[in-house]
Amino acid sequence: MKFIIKKCIAWGDGKTNFEDWQSFSNGTIVNPQTLTLPELKQIPAMQRRRLSAFAKLTLHCALEASEAFQHDIPSVFSSRHGDLHKTTKLIADVASKDTLSPTNFALSVHNAVGGLFSIYAGNKAPLCAMSAGEDSFFMGLVDAVAKLKTRGYERILYVYSDQAVPEHYQPYVQQKPDNIAVGLLIEPCESSNGFELKCTGHHQVKESETPNLQALDFLKFYFSKNNKLEINSKRYQWQLSR
Amino acid sequence: MSDLSTEVKQLIIETLDLEDIEAADINDDEALFVDGLGLDSIDALELGVAIKKAYDVKIDGNTDDSKKHFYSVKTLCDFIAATKA
Repeated sequence: MKFIIKKCIAWGDGKTNFEDWQSFSNGTIVNPQTLTLPELKQIPAMQRRRLSAFAKLTLHCALEASEAFQHDIPSVFSSRHGDLHKTTKLIADVASKDTLSPTNFALSVHNAVGGLFSIYAGNKAPLCAMSAGEDSFFMGLVDAVAKLKTRGYERILYVYSDQAVPEHYQPYVQQKPDNIAVGLLIEPCESSNGFELKCTGHHQVKESETPNLQALDFLKFYFSKNNKLEINSKRYQWQLSR
Repeated sequence: MSDLSTEVKQLIIETLDLEDIEAADINDDEALFVDGLGLDSIDALELGVAIKKAYDVKIDGNTDDSKKHFYSVKTLCDFIAATKA
């Protein structure tokens, strides 16, 4: 499947602007770095006060990538774990038989950040929230490009975000503990100079997941001059070229 | 009464993450929801839970009475005081 990436906005540990991502891509800065949060001054204080770190990272990338189209662009939000820090707090309250916080409950569902985006932007276009394990970044991209083609959209917003999982869950996750959000403004590709994504399922599922986050591998590739990226996850082989 | 009022204002600020507001900024008679302080329906639920935890008083769901109790800091304090008495 072919497509054009009109705009790519990303926010991660110590990497918040174009220059940071370029240095990340050419290896002049290395992880680990600390996470700062986007200020999101454009969102009124009464709405902003409820935003978790996860919501802030995601909303920043969604709003910056969609910019002038934010009021009516269709979108796909993907995340492997969602706002797991919030969910973990709720589960701890259930365990200790405390009353649950209605606010945290409302904002811990998987489509909560997409909902916040649509409320803030007054956007009534179709929105979908998804999760696909280790392959969440690329599967989300597949979903966004598929929607772009089958529905004949002029453009679609794709947002992926994940945070390092809370301590309790760390033994169960092989991926490195990075915080990352990416927003892509995607348009159909009429000519030959776009991106092409190919996905092949392994005949036999591999034993373990890859420790690298696909989104970070993608960003490293996107901000480089390389023309091909190949990733082998537990179940799939992904090939992205330009 | 004024002690309770300051306490309730502090509870509102902490429970609802009103970062830029201090207790003195909230007027006893001012509406808490929509106009006035500008709280919304999720805040109402959150505040109901917090008041139940702090004062052990239960406020019934979406009844006309609960709307009256939740109108302002003063009505909320009157309700807490009356229930505890």
